[in-house]
Amino acid sequence: MSASALMSIGTRAMFANYAALQTTGHNIANASVDGYSRQQVQLQTANGQFSGAGFFGKGVDVQTVTRSFDQFLTREAVATRAQAAFDSTRLDKLSQLESLFAGGEQGLGFATGEFLNAMVDMASHPQDLAARQVVLGRAGELAARFSSASSQIDTIQSGVTMDLRSAVDRVNSIAKDIATVNDRIAVARGSGHTPNDLLDLRDQLVSELGSYMEVTTIPADDGTLSVFVGGGQRLVLGAQSLKLDLSPDPYDATRMDLGIIETSGVRALPYSLIGSGSIGGLLRFQDDDLAAARNLIGRLASVVADGVNGQQALGLDLRVPPGSGAPVFGVGAPQALPASNNARTAGGTFVSTVGLTITDATQLQASEYALANDGANWILTRLSDGSAQTVVDGSIVDGFQINLGTPAPAATDRFLLQPVARAASGFRRVLDDPRGLAAASPVTADAGTANTGTASVGALLVVSPTVNPQNTATVTFTSGIGNYNWELRDRTTNALVSSGTGTWSAGQPIALNGFELDLAGVPASGDTFTVSKTLFPGSNNGNALALAGLRDALLVGRVGNGSGGLTGGASFTDAWADAMSDIGVRAQSAKTSSEISTQVAAAAKEALSNRTGVNLDEEAARLMQYQQGYQAAAKVLQVAQSVFDTLLEAAR
Amino acid sequence: MTRVSTAHSFEAGIATLQQRQRQLTDAQQQLTSGKRISRLSDDPAASARAERAIAAVQRADADQRALEASRSAITQVEAAYGDANDLMEQARELVVAAGNPSYGAAERKGIADRLAGLRDQLLQIANRGDGAGGYLFGGQGIAQAPFVDAAGGVQFVAAAGTQQAASDELLPLTTDGQRAWLAARSGNGVFNTAATASTGSAWIDAGRVTQPAQLTGSPYSVQFTVGGAGTTYTVLQNGNPTALTNAAYQSGQAIQIDGMSFTVTGGPANGDRFDITPSTPDLSVFDTFDGIVAALGNASASTTQVAQTVADGLRDIDASAATLSSRRADAGSWLNRLDDVDSRVAGQKLRAQGERSNAEDLDMVHAISDFQLQQTGYDAALRAYSMVQRLSLFDYLGG
Repeated sequence: MSASALMSIGTRAMFANYAALQTTGHNIANASVDGYSRQQVQLQTANGQFSGAGFFGKGVDVQTVTRSFDQFLTREAVATRAQAAFDSTRLDKLSQLESLFAGGEQGLGFATGEFLNAMVDMASHPQDLAARQVVLGRAGELAARFSSASSQIDTIQSGVTMDLRSAVDRVNSIAKDIATVNDRIAVARGSGHTPNDLLDLRDQLVSELGSYMEVTTIPADDGTLSVFVGGGQRLVLGAQSLKLDLSPDPYDATRMDLGIIETSGVRALPYSLIGSGSIGGLLRFQDDDLAAARNLIGRLASVVADGVNGQQALGLDLRVPPGSGAPVFGVGAPQALPASNNARTAGGTFVSTVGLTITDATQLQASEYALANDGANWILTRLSDGSAQTVVDGSIVDGFQINLGTPAPAATDRFLLQPVARAASGFRRVLDDPRGLAAASPVTADAGTANTGTASVGALLVVSPTVNPQNTATVTFTSGIGNYNWELRDRTTNALVSSGTGTWSAGQPIALNGFELDLAGVPASGDTFTVSKTLFPGSNNGNALALAGLRDALLVGRVGNGSGGLTGGASFTDAWADAMSDIGVRAQSAKTSSEISTQVAAAAKEALSNRTGVNLDEEAARLMQYQQGYQAAAKVLQVAQSVFDTLLEAAR
Repeated sequence: MTRVSTAHSFEAGIATLQQRQRQLTDAQQQLTSGKRISRLSDDPAASARAERAIAAVQRADADQRALEASRSAITQVEAAYGDANDLMEQARELVVAAGNPSYGAAERKGIADRLAGLRDQLLQIANRGDGAGGYLFGGQGIAQAPFVDAAGGVQFVAAAGTQQAASDELLPLTTDGQRAWLAARSGNGVFNTAATASTGSAWIDAGRVTQPAQLTGSPYSVQFTVGGAGTTYTVLQNGNPTALTNAAYQSGQAIQIDGMSFTVTGGPANGDRFDITPSTPDLSVFDTFDGIVAALGNASASTTQVAQTVADGLRDIDASAATLSSRRADAGSWLNRLDDVDSRVAGQKLRAQGERSNAEDLDMVHAISDFQLQQTGYDAALRAYSMVQRLSLFDYLGG
């Protein structure tokens, strides 16, 4: 047994304790570093040396340095962080969007109400140009609100595009970094020890990647980690990484689509595949929430413009001679967008186009539609609810008509139909002359002077452009229970044009010659009512009353009742309030989801950092422990020295 | 053993403090603005409810404006009727005076001239503007004055009927001039008496209804025969003889047939004829004046003709004045109705404002108590943080 054995044990112990102190110092130094995992020196008792008196210990060995690590918790933290990023990104964007749908005096609904209520003043003083000028002013204000809402949506879209661009750039750079780290880890693994700090770095990169998009990771035997995104597309494989690509939507160039660049070309990654992460949130917002907002506002714009212009066309304006009213509002036209890979001619233009015409604005739905061929038929899918139906050239669906054009589209062609999405962006006032407002009705109703019943003219509405003021209608009641004869006579020649009988019941209008006559009270037998040409359109307010009546008209979102009629429908006020609720509920539920997923992510992160993070009190204790160990080992060395000295003294 | 990561515990502490602070700021913002809802997503359903309430307030404001337009028009119409009634009163006095037997042609001419002046004033009233480019009696529209002084009498050239303001209630903006000025019932309101052929000195009064149930509505004529049997008269109904055939005539004695009673006074000549026709709603104020003015202005008029003129004139002026009075009463009742509508509209507006306030305003008591709770919570969190995070083993290790 040599004296150097004790020396050797002391040296080893000092080295081991020093290594432990060094690692503890490393832990303390990195206590605040995000993603750092606590490291520990693994010590091992050195194998004893056999002698005649048994095994003598040879001290301690430093085996390796390990890091605290929990694969499950790490994955959990990445996944929950991705969901939290998805929800909070969508919430951020929805918060911007919801301010667009704010109610109150600054809102679109208020401006619509102001415009229609100005009709009341025009009805009170139809010949007063000042009242008409107010109507035009309100119309201009309404148009400004619509187009500003639309441009704000465009601004939000461009914000989304910019966010997507920087997110994709970051994802590409992270993917490249992961590939690099993979390579370095594979090399380091050759030494037989785990490169703890590199592993931390890679975990941190994967976690950051997860905040952009949902990732799946699969470790390989050589220590590298493969990363997959978008439901199985590889982003990183060993030391190789691919790049994401952000390109304009094939239909609608204002939107962005995500793809991954493979050797065979760009493979599209729709938002349904991307899942969570901020990119997922941005795409979901763009393709779902923002599209819904655009369509809700666009539909309201379409119906308001159509309702006002339609009623305006039924009246007479103040020009000399009076003519039927010119449109007050213009809206952006419906459009059918061909997919960018539809068949093209040699010149690069599309071979065939699809035309879209609005036939009844009141039936428009706040949605976009996909038109594709299933091999036999053209299938139109409403994107808001996914309902699909077969269409042919000339089909009328939800208030618009589809014209498949000549030549007919190829079976591989696809189209995105936007009946209302662009309506608000093109919404503007096109009438500048206050005299152009059609306050007068082309016909006037009057009760006979010899009437004995209590009925008076309640309202006279012109409902169809087929009204012919040249014909004077006379309704003569033949009984006290509402039976009447009617006749239409030419007002100049008095020649009978047509005649018939009918039965009036309270609350039901008498419809003739394109007008509807409402009676207030009850007519007696022999009572007459005449509806004749308006002789003085300058001071008549019949159509102004009808325009003011649009406040209560249920024009928005009517649906067919299956028997040729229309049911449902909401007034402008209700339609706007519904749109507000729609966007409000989206923002509200996004807020709730975000709160929940943020908490879940925080809990997962807490669990992970409690397992792998640094506790300074613990490190302080360890510092003491290893310091004392080091001092003791030094004492061993001192003793060994002293023993050796004693031996030398003895030998002198 | 559960470990705690130092860095994370700091981070979590800071995050909690920030959250507390944000809640406190939100509560403060709510208290400052007085609104429970500052963003749509705070309560989408209440936001939509508030929006509908705002539309209802807007609507009530518009109804109020329509109401004021109607009130202004009807007030002016009522005043016009009042002015017209004063003039009719003067005219009646003049016509009564014209019946004075001591008046000669010159005096009657003077009265006729004054009546013509009154007629012109009445026409001006009928053509009065509403101050906003329209006419009070413009009916359903007219470009110029609604009454034209044409040859053959004053004509109403506007569209008949009334114009309504845009409101859920019927609120008239104009009055039908035809019905006000040109559509009084002729005669006594049930039948009309007229001297169709009168060469003698007899004149007929306006008559009266004695038995409403017996009225037939047919035209009658009274034909006088002056012969050997004295003066007799025959009443024909629709040209057919009736029970009164060759009845003896006595001046001033009422002739009664089929519920009607009328009196012929004076001495009719042979072949004189008086017609009794059903009343029609076409008596024009202006035609009445024109007739009286023409008859009184006729210098060669006989006493009988003057008496007939005065009798007919008083009858027609009374009929027209009665129509104008009843129209005035009608206007007055409209004004009352407008006051009712006014309070209804004001009530609707108040309800809508209450609805909006319920939907989006803050319950202050609740909010203040919440705010204090959060303040206390934040205070406690700050204290706890400063105490717990200060603890470290390093502090206890002697250097």
